[in-house]
Order: sequence, then C-alpha cells, then structure tokens
Amino acid sequence: FFYFSMSRVLDLEWISKVRVNTHSVLMRAQHIQGQKIPNKQWQAAWLLKAVTCIDLTTLNGDDTPSNVHRLCLKAIQPVQHDLLRKMNMHNKGVTTAAVCVYPSRVADAVMSLKAANSSLPVASVATGFPAGQTPLETRLKEVCMAVADGATEIDIVINRTLALQGQWEAMYDEICQFRRACGDAFMKTILAVGELGTFTNVYKASLVAMMAGSDFIKTSTGKEAVNATYPIAIVMVRAIRDYYLRTGFKVGFKPAGGIRTAQESLLWLTLIKEELGNDWLCPHLFRLGASSLLADIERQIYHHITGKYAAYHELPMA
Amino acid sequence: MAGSATKTVHDIFQSMEYGPATTSTFATAQAWLDHHSRSLGLFIDGMFVRPADRQSCSVTDSTGGAVCSTVCAVGDDVSQCASSAANGYKAWSSLTCQQRAKVLLRLVSLLGQHGQCVSQLCELCGAPCSLSTLVRLLQYYGSWAQLRDTLISGWAPLGVVAVVVSDDCSLYSLLLKVLPALAMGNSVIVVPGRTKAPPALLLAQLFVAAGLPAGALNVLTGGDMSLGAEVAQSPNISYITYSGNKQDAVRLCEATAGMGVPVSVSICIGPTCPFIIFESADIDSAVDGVIEAAFKKIREVHWVLCVQESVLESVEARLRLRMAGMKCLALRSDEDRTLVDAAVQEAQQQGAMLIQPCTAPPSGAQYPPTVLCRAAPSSLFVVSPSPGPLLPFMTFRTNTEAVAIGNHSPHGLAASIWTEDLTLALETAKSLSVGSVWVNSHSMSDPCMPVCGHKDSGTCTDGGQEGLYQFLCSPGSSFPTLPRSWVVDALLALTHNYVCTTDLPISVSGCSLAVQSPGCGDVLAYCPDGGRKDVRNAVEAAVKVQPGWMKKSASARAQSLYLLVKCLEAKRQDLAASISAQAGVSLDKAEKETDFSISRLNDWAANCDKIKGGNLPVPHSGLALSLPEALGVVGVVLPDKNPLLSMVTLLGAALTTGNAVVMVPSQKYPLPALTFIQVLQSSDLPAGLVNILTGRRDQLTVALANHSVIKAIWYWGSAEGCQYLQHTCTNPLKTLYLSSQKDEEETDEGRDWTRSSLLEEMWRNAVQWKNVWIPTA
Repeated sequence: FFYFSMSRVLDLEWISKVRVNTHSVLMRAQHIQGQKIPNKQWQAAWLLKAVTCIDLTTLNGDDTPSNVHRLCLKAIQPVQHDLLRKMNMHNKGVTTAAVCVYPSRVADAVMSLKAANSSLPVASVATGFPAGQTPLETRLKEVCMAVADGATEIDIVINRTLALQGQWEAMYDEICQFRRACGDAFMKTILAVGELGTFTNVYKASLVAMMAGSDFIKTSTGKEAVNATYPIAIVMVRAIRDYYLRTGFKVGFKPAGGIRTAQESLLWLTLIKEELGNDWLCPHLFRLGASSLLADIERQIYHHITGKYAAYHELPMA
Repeated sequence: MAGSATKTVHDIFQSMEYGPATTSTFATAQAWLDHHSRSLGLFIDGMFVRPADRQSCSVTDSTGGAVCSTVCAVGDDVSQCASSAANGYKAWSSLTCQQRAKVLLRLVSLLGQHGQCVSQLCELCGAPCSLSTLVRLLQYYGSWAQLRDTLISGWAPLGVVAVVVSDDCSLYSLLLKVLPALAMGNSVIVVPGRTKAPPALLLAQLFVAAGLPAGALNVLTGGDMSLGAEVAQSPNISYITYSGNKQDAVRLCEATAGMGVPVSVSICIGPTCPFIIFESADIDSAVDGVIEAAFKKIREVHWVLCVQESVLESVEARLRLRMAGMKCLALRSDEDRTLVDAAVQEAQQQGAMLIQPCTAPPSGAQYPPTVLCRAAPSSLFVVSPSPGPLLPFMTFRTNTEAVAIGNHSPHGLAASIWTEDLTLALETAKSLSVGSVWVNSHSMSDPCMPVCGHKDSGTCTDGGQEGLYQFLCSPGSSFPTLPRSWVVDALLALTHNYVCTTDLPISVSGCSLAVQSPGCGDVLAYCPDGGRKDVRNAVEAAVKVQPGWMKKSASARAQSLYLLVKCLEAKRQDLAASISAQAGVSLDKAEKETDFSISRLNDWAANCDKIKGGNLPVPHSGLALSLPEALGVVGVVLPDKNPLLSMVTLLGAALTTGNAVVMVPSQKYPLPALTFIQVLQSSDLPAGLVNILTGRRDQLTVALANHSVIKAIWYWGSAEGCQYLQHTCTNPLKTLYLSSQKDEEETDEGRDWTRSSLLEEMWRNAVQWKNVWIPTA
C-alpha cells in the first residue's frame, strides 16, 4: 500500500467544490431502502457474503483475554459447521473479515488466532478512540504499538476539531502521519460522521481521508449519537466513487455502529451494489463493523436451512 | 431465468446477483374481470350497459396478452349517456357541499377495501398508479367539495363536463380533471383512452358504491378520439377538458370547433422538458435524478439534458458509471423500435456519441437506455424526439445561456434545475417559461399545486384552487356563452374574407373604413382599416415592452394604472361624447358608462398587488411555490356592447397581471377606443404595451389567430369567428375566451359588464400559474 499513499495528494480545490443536496440524498436512501431484498438461496448467499465482510468487534471497558478468545474462535467459525455443509459452503473459507479490538487486547487476539492456526487479521482501533482528543504524539505512539503487537489493520479516528474548523490541510497532515505509522497495515479512517454536522462536511472529510492514503473510510466509532445511517453512507460512497473516477484508486467502505439485524446487512450490501457495483462486494473493499449482527445472521441462515426459527442459545455464542 | 432454481448458494456468493424478480399476481383484478366475463360494458346511469351489436375493442397488457374487451360506443350510447348525465347533474348538484364531500371521502374507505383490485387492474393495464396517490387526490378534492360554498362563494357548477384523455395519459392526470369537476358539483362523462378504460370503469363502479348518484359519473369507451367529438355534439355538454398528447388534442379541438362548447386542453404527454445541471449542483444527485427521470418505465415527457460546460466531463463520467448496469427498456411496439433505430443512426451521423450500458439487441421491442452526447438544439432528435429511452445531452456556458436554451422550445410544461445556489435557482425558475420548475428534483406532483402548461403545453390550469375554476362559472354569468349552432361553412366564409382583404391595400398603406352612427347612415369618422401587417407590428412592439412591464413590481404597475385613471378622468367629457355619438345613447347614459369605467380601472389598479401566489402546503418538506405569471401578449376582440366599459375591463385585466394587449375595438363602435388612444398617450404606460387596431373584425381576428406570439385571444364576435378560432388556434395552442354576440339584440342580452365578479373571472383568465418546487430535508 505504500506506493498508493505516495501518489495521493491533497487537492483543496476539489474539496472546496464539494456540494451535497441533503434532500436528494435522503430520497436516494429511501429508494434503496425500498429495494426488494433477496430471498431463498439468494438471501443465504448474500448473508454469507455479509458474514465474510464483518469486522467482528468487541470494544468494551471490561474486555479481557477470555472474551477476546471467544470472539476470535467465533470469527474463525462464524456459522455453525453443519449449516454451512448443508449449503455446501463448509469448505469455502467462510470466516469473518477480521476481529477488531482495543490496542491493549491486540496481543491476546493475535495469540488466540495463532493458536487456532488462523491467519485472520486482527484490527485495532487507535489514535485516542473514540474521541481522538489526545495529543498527536500519543495517538501516533498508539498506532505504532498496535502494529508492533501484531495488528494488521488499524482503525484510526480523525480529529473532529480540525474537520469542524475546516482545517483540511492540518487534518490531511495528521492522517498522513498515521498512514506512515501504520506501515504495511491496512488503515481504516473513522470519520465519526455523527459529529461532523453536515453531509457536505462528511463528503469533504471522506475525500481528505482518501487523499491522505486511507484504505478504508469508516462511518463511526459506534460511540456517537448518530452511527451508520444509509443517507450518510450514500454521501461517503459517492465520495469513494468520485475519488475512484479521478484517481483510479478503489477505497473501501466500512459502516459501523448500530448494525444489528440480518435484514440491515442485506440492505447494506444492496446499497454498495447499487452505488459502487459488485467490485466493492468483497472484504477487501467492504466491511461491516458489528458485534451482535453475526448472531442474527446465523439465525436467519438456520431458518433458511431448517425452516425453523432458532433460539439464541441454540447457536454457539461469540 | 431458466437456471435460477439450480443456482447454488456458492454461485450466488461469487456473483452476488439479485434473485429473480418476483412476478406480480393479478388475482383480484382477474377475478373482477372474470366477474364481468372479461368484456366490460359502458358505465351509464350507475351501471354497466352492454348494448348489442356494438364493435368491441380489446385491451391488452404489456406482453400483448388479452386483458378484456370494451364496447365501442356509438351515437345512441352517447345520447343516452348525455341525458343520464344531465339527470345525474340535477341529483348531484342539488346535494349539499357536505354530502358531496362525504361521497368522495367514502370512496377513500372503499379504496381501503378494494385497493388491491384497483392497483392490480391499473398495473395490468400498464397504468400503474399508487393507492396513496389516489387517496391523496380523493382527500384533497373531498375537502374542496366540502368548502366550495364557503371559499368560492357564488360560483356555480357548469353542468355536464366531458373529460377526454388520450390513451397514453396516466390515471392521475385523468383524475386530476374528474375529481375537481365532481367536487364542484358537475356531472362528468369520462372518455378514457383504450387501455385506461378498465380502471376508469372500476373507479366509476366504486364511486356509485360510495353513494354517487346514478349518472353523475358515466364512462364511455371507444376506439379513438372521434368519440370525444361525438360527445361534444350532445347539447347537454357544457365543457370539454382534455389531458394527454398533442396530436389527439389538436384532433379534438378541430373536431369540436364550432360546436359551441368551450374546450381546454392540458398537454401532459410528450412535451420536451429541459433538465439543467449547473456547475454549482450536487452532480451525483443530479445524475441519479436524470437517469431516474429519463429512463423510467413509462416515459411521459422527453427530457433534454443541459449541462454547464465546466462540469461536462464529470457528468459524463458519472453517467457512464451509473448506467453501466442498466437493462434494456421495453418499447411500445416494433414500429417504435424502427423509429428509435433511425433516430440513433441519424444522431451518430451527426457526430453524436452514445453512452449505453450495452449495445442494442438486433431486433425486438426493447432498447437500452441511451444518452446522445454532443446534441445541439438543432439536432433532429432534439427537435422531434423519437419514442424510446433516448436522452439528448448538450452543454451551455453561462446561466443566461441555460435559460435561453431551456426556453427556446415550443413546449412549456416543466423543467428540472440543479444547483445548490438558492439565488441562481430562484432566478432561473423565474426566467424559465414553463409551468413547473423542480429545483434539485424532478417529476414531483401533488393535487394542491396548480399545474398549467405554458406555451404549447396547455390552455388550462389543473390542480389546486386555481384548477377548480375551469369547472365553475362566475356569479352572475350565464354559461355557456357560445351558441349551440353548428355553422358548417363558417370557416370557409371567414378565410374567404381574409383572402379577399389581402388583395386590398391595408392600413399600413393607409386604407380606411367609414364609421357610421347608428340609425342613420351618417359618416362620423374614418378609421384606419388594420390588417395582418398591423397586427405583426403591434405584436413586435408589445413583445419588446411586455417583459419589462411584467418585471415591474406590482405596486409600480398599480401606480401606472392610477395615472391612467387620472388621464381617463381628464378626458371624461370627450369619451362620454364619443360613446353617445357612436352608440346613439343619451349623454347621461354615456357619462354613466364613463364613470363606471373610471371606477373599474381604479378597481384594477387596486388589484395589482392583490393577485398573488404563495407557498402551498404540499405533503413534502420544503417549499412549493405557486406564482401567477402574465400570459404575454393577449389579443382582444372587443364587444359592441358598452364599448368603453368593456374595453377598460378587459384592458385592466390584462395590464394588472402584467400582459401586453393588442385590442381590436368593436367594428361598429370604434370611436370610444379611438378617443381612448389619447388617454393612453398621456399616461406613462410604455409605448407598445397597449395596441389598438381598428378595422374589419374578421380580418383582424384571422391575423391575431395566425400570430404564434399571441398566447390568448379574448373574442366577442360572430359564431363563425368562434369556430374559426377554435379550429385554428391549435398550433401553437392559444387560450381562448370566446363569446358570440348577436348583432341585433345586444342591448339587453349578453354579458353584464357592470357586475363586479367579472374582475375575478377576468384576471384568472389573464394569468398562467408557475409552480416552483424546492424540496428540502
């Protein structure tokens, strides 16, 4: 990813010309939410695709090695084996895309996965998650330490103060520094859209994050009042499309926060398919940040296979 | 999709395709059709009537499968229907407002029960109509039915109204005529297009179930437009209103000319509408919008995409990307395919570049969505667009040029403009001569907005309170004003007259007519005999000053009119003398008319800033403005009766609302008008705003009718003249306000020019409405 970041530059003129019409975006979101959701084997396949795009996440104060370990093993085996076998998907490598933890738990996660002979990437939030209100120096240090502990994906948060003040150049510089600190690790930039005020700001922040070399842009930390909503996602994926049209770089998209049901995950896939096309429907370019979503998807798959609705306790917990 | 059942989860997991489209079922609608043995009768007097020995015409669905058959009504059916409608009118109009409102609202709850049947039948007949739209229409007009006497007091229903629509017209447009007519207390004869007949019949049946008296809503089905004309011949019909495409509108107008029924048309199918994207637009949203608008399943208008040069590439790139996955769209027929192929080939020969998701299949009634880049206003596919999903794409340099391109078209239905700059949006909306401007949106509609096609896109207003007046007559007036005589060769007579006069020297070269006093043959004066070239010069002059007059503030117009009143007062004696000498009335009576004219003009001056639009309560968030606008240049052929008062009344109506006029004073009594010229000269009205052309009425009427700039003609004259105007003023469409005066007995009969309700009636005729949609979050 290094040469990627080298060829990306800040283009303030582009940013200044950004215009977003709120009403049209809301209409578009409504249109997408009104799309028919696939059913039967299409639904099962789409749900499995959603599973492979999940960053299975635990970001709590009470995380310890034991629940991180459970999470890692669930990530390796996200859907009960016999269910997968019935769909002939048991040997197709269906795992979640990554596990996502706080920097202090990276080492635990890496150890658990290694013990299970899995190469599943470990993602870590960093840079003063969720508020980003710590000195730049410590935020950079955090990234370096997470990488050193074995995280291969880093979810950084942007400095909302800079974004709200329109200091795009300063924000760009900060993200560039994080990019360098990440080294070879995947960098996902969390825009915390709930705190950016307007769609136009979201679009601009998306562009700056991509210019500064992000591999993914991510909606929210899950800790703000407004999380991943469809209209905001439309604004962000339009920025991704815009960036792709101008530079040829495909940047990934990760909605996170508040995504809990299988139904929603299907809508998210539909949105990406409609707005960005099939190319983006892979873990390389699309992630779902979620913790409880997997359980619901598994129940839906259970229903698809058996025709019965499972109780939560019938399926293995994360 | 043959292999869809065998697709494994893994296949789909790889391809991430959508599942097969669920095919809609029409079980309920089919059951209703089966109940009627798949052959629907006419709906007359509250029930289905299937007269024997009638031709039937078959209704097919989109795949060509037979849905049902309908009866082709003939003359007997039409007269039976008309007399039923006359009885229906008696029953319906004698109900109270609340009772009528109740019927409309009861239909809403009936739709709750039978909604599935209605929507399935609409879809089956290729006219999908959402139930919520129907409910909104019914609720809106239910409330107007309730409030007619409160809010529009004094106005009365017309009687039997015929609503004729072309085959391609949507159910929404049909109901936008039928429901207000019913709500105001008229009875309605619906002549739906062939494919919309089943839903119209079902709705009529439901209406009767909701308590509508028998005969208040009849449905006549038939093969083509000629049925509309046949309905017009029936003496019970008071008014015909039409919605649909232009060709059928012209056919209807020509066929009904001279039948003595006023006809108004709304051209909602087929006009070309500009889709303007400024550089300050949210380009992504705009591109999504244009794709949605231009490549709909059912395309009612032809969009032309106009993009500011500075964002051309960005729009083009997005169009390519967004259209990439689109599928071919169905055409109506194989003939359409031939037309589309020809248009595309022609475009390519002129250097147009295509943006298509895939190449067109070699044959068949389908075509991929296609953008024709590098179009120009002169391109054939822009001038006369072919059917099919083709979108011409052209560029403009500046905001002014965008407006110029948008306006340079005979059509004036609607435009969509995209910019985040509010000032630019409002300025552009103001300058575009179209009925609806959608800012950062497209194709929005709601029954509370008055919709009025400008230029060649219509002659009446539908929707909103303004749309109700076409179904009402003003207090004190007697409707219809047209005689029910059918003069077969009137047309010939008038044209003949015209041809003759071209051989004579016209007033440009100084010919004059003698003005005689009544009774004896004394010559009072000689006035110029105006002709075609004088009309041309007058219109030229009027066009120059009219935009400036319209742009003036309402209060500035009022001041000018007050000044005109002063000048009129100064000439009071002269005017009274001219009336007295001319019409042979006593000086006392003449003075009375002069005084009344002065007070009438005062009324108009006072009215200038009272005629206003506003923000209407549409069920969307944002603003929906309805603004009255001047028609442009109005041609007025004045009556003989009350020569001064009638002139001042009509002149005031036109000027108050911002129009310019070309007036032809009564051929018999031109003197007051000639005296009035001095009044005009001493006023501060811009020269050219009011033009008075004396001369032979018929000759000048022909000249007015054949000048495309004149948007409206108000005519008092012979029955032949009325027929001529109805027949001629179709290309482009002119709004006609016709009255036939009987030459002999004009003293006591006819219009009472002193009644004050004339003011509202006339200014409503002098404006066209523009609605501006500014949706916000």
